[in-house]
Amino acid sequence: MKKENLWKTTLAQIQIDISEANFNTWFKGTSISALNNKKAVIGVPNAFAKEWIENKYHKIILKALKKLDKDIKEVDYAVISNPLAISEEKKKVKKNNREKASTASQMEFQELSVDRETGLNPKYSFNNFIIGPFNELAHAAGTAITESPGSIYNPLFLYSKTGLGKTHLLQAMGNKIKDSVDGKKVLYIPAQKFISEIISAIRGNKMDDFRRQYRDIDVLIIDDIQFLSGKEKTQEEFFHTFNDLYEKNKQIILSSDRHPKSIASLTDRLRSRFEGGMLADIGTPDIETRSAILKTKAQEKNFFLPDDVCYYIAENVQRSIRELEGILNKLIIHHQVTKKNIDINIVKSFLKNISQSSFSSFTFDKLLKTVASFYDTSEKEIMGSSRKREIVKSRQVIIYFLRKELNYSYPYIAKKIGGKDHTTIIYSYSKM
Amino acid sequence: MNIVLLQNKLKEGLGIIGRGTSKSTSLPILKNILFNVKDDFLNISATDLEIAIKWWTLVKSGKDGSITVPYNSLSSFVNLLPDKKINLNVENNNLFIDCEDYKTQINSISADEFPIIPIVKEKEKVKINSNMLCDSLLQIIDIPSLSKVKPEISGVLFFFNKGELKLVATDSYRLAEKKVFIKNQTTGSFSFIIPQRTAREVVNIFKDFSKDIDIVFGDNQILFKVKMDDFDQSQIELTSKIIEGNYPNYEAIIPKEYKTQIVLDREEFLNKVKAASVFTSKVNEVNLEFSPEQGEVVIKSSNNDLGNYTAKTSGRAEGEEVKISFNYRFLLDGLLSTKSSEIIFEVSDESSPGVIKPVGRSDFLYVVMPIKN
Repeated sequence: MKKENLWKTTLAQIQIDISEANFNTWFKGTSISALNNKKAVIGVPNAFAKEWIENKYHKIILKALKKLDKDIKEVDYAVISNPLAISEEKKKVKKNNREKASTASQMEFQELSVDRETGLNPKYSFNNFIIGPFNELAHAAGTAITESPGSIYNPLFLYSKTGLGKTHLLQAMGNKIKDSVDGKKVLYIPAQKFISEIISAIRGNKMDDFRRQYRDIDVLIIDDIQFLSGKEKTQEEFFHTFNDLYEKNKQIILSSDRHPKSIASLTDRLRSRFEGGMLADIGTPDIETRSAILKTKAQEKNFFLPDDVCYYIAENVQRSIRELEGILNKLIIHHQVTKKNIDINIVKSFLKNISQSSFSSFTFDKLLKTVASFYDTSEKEIMGSSRKREIVKSRQVIIYFLRKELNYSYPYIAKKIGGKDHTTIIYSYSKM
Repeated sequence: MNIVLLQNKLKEGLGIIGRGTSKSTSLPILKNILFNVKDDFLNISATDLEIAIKWWTLVKSGKDGSITVPYNSLSSFVNLLPDKKINLNVENNNLFIDCEDYKTQINSISADEFPIIPIVKEKEKVKINSNMLCDSLLQIIDIPSLSKVKPEISGVLFFFNKGELKLVATDSYRLAEKKVFIKNQTTGSFSFIIPQRTAREVVNIFKDFSKDIDIVFGDNQILFKVKMDDFDQSQIELTSKIIEGNYPNYEAIIPKEYKTQIVLDREEFLNKVKAASVFTSKVNEVNLEFSPEQGEVVIKSSNNDLGNYTAKTSGRAEGEEVKISFNYRFLLDGLLSTKSSEIIFEVSDESSPGVIKPVGRSDFLYVVMPIKN
């Protein structure tokens, strides 16, 4: 007989012998936690139950168990924290929900939900990862790796624009591998954290500890690897770690917001290593996928989203999944505060504000900064009159975007970019 | 069982263990308390199966024995008796209480029915001054909340490392860490999480003592006890379950650096935040604008129905200008538990946590997350 059934039958017999109140108090949440030929270990929820059952009911339990399974000669008891206790706590939590509504925009410590050893957040899993044509390849590569880490695509390099599910996929892979039977050691670390760890290791003269810590990992996942750009010492250290793990056939998974070729100031040896494994690109989701994602997210948050509203949002918010989630959160807060049902007009007014704000975030200053850092020149040089090839090129890129995205007039661009003639600008624009 | 003791003494004991009884009706015996007399010591115990409280006193004993009686009736009755000698006598499972002209009989339940209070098997033991422990716990005790799926953070973390004890509590919106120095060094470092309720009871029971408390840490259980003055015998013992699981890596939450720092007068800042709370809307939002150049913080709040509020408070500041919003209740909690006349307030940007610390000591830290705009 299976131990679950054995215990159920035993309980049914014990129930006859003792009062209902006693039975409910002491036997709720008990189970057989181990059963090997002669000895049964009964798991009890707390130390009180252990003392009581051991002292008062031992004989009854032993007798009942022996009747059902002749092999059992011995019964032992152990305290096992059981899921039941947690569900009781949850009941109490429900009372606090009133308070929750008022703290909807209150930020939380993200670190608390993160697993201590692996740095993974258990909320990310393959179950809530939605697959569409845009991420099929990445997802397929990801699942293949979770089945046999280190042997097929190594390293896996995922790249996509921000907010399209890289981190989700990365963490889901980590969680899946961690939970698999053979207990592989997984470490997930955002590149910024990796960099700051290196810096503090150098400062504290603890480089050896640092290296050791990374070299007995089975699966190393680094998110947003583009942040290594321009950090030479970190790149060197990462290079050694990478080689070490790679030689031992350990799985390495990386993500970035762009193709390795486009990461500025990355040493060639690293770039070629990144390109040596599997490169998978996540594109932008199509409208069906976007609306499916929105539906799932709403369901996770126990929020009812009418179909037309869902479709309308999916139709109008195209850039990223994170943006979809942001709008959903806004709608939820709106619903909680006003207690009104969400209809398409509310969504329309929300989207109006949002599309304006995301437009205004693209400014001349930002553009200048981004382009300057990409081409490794200074803002001053671009604004100046140098005619060096690289600088002219970056200047032309800026002019192109100013015209195309911000709809600036040619003379205005000329003024902005350091008092050039507007014909120069027209020429530059046509060059691109 | 047959003993004589003073009303005052019995009243004291009942007062201490009363908090351990259970209000739940599922197991009526938990509304009773256990009397046990052995070798001239009377021991009274109460439990609700999560915590257990035991209290001892010396009595004039005629006969050893034990019995359980309903706590509420006994306690209200004893409180009404004069402060004279009381005689407690058990016959045929009934407790007879005689005190001067009062004579009562209380129907009782046999001691066999009372839950067995687990004995904590000692893994580690530390001594700590009770005043110090209770004052420290008071600074953080209101923070944990059950409003989370994670049971680990619904309690208070005790983290012992060499000569230092760190008490940590969080509700995922804010976190407080209090350091206490302990006399006897622990061998290694170890930690456990006690339920918030246990922490509350520790404070309630032990705050008026200025003795050493022994904290005994075992599997699944924790024991707090104080000894009698003249005997090697416990006077009070509080046993509680501990919360299973690992406390999250809370140190990652504490910001290592800041952009702006200001030193403020605590009372003044506290009052201005309190005043701001009158004008907050549903999310309890208070806006703070740090201007290091002027050496001041502007406190603002507004409510569409009521109006709006602005106040300034000045202090020594450094860093950049920062605008950030907090839930005023979280700010007040932090300010109230920071025990110094001046406080240090550190912030970085609108979406990073702020830190409140006392000036001139490094034993307390309060980290609070802002409200997103």
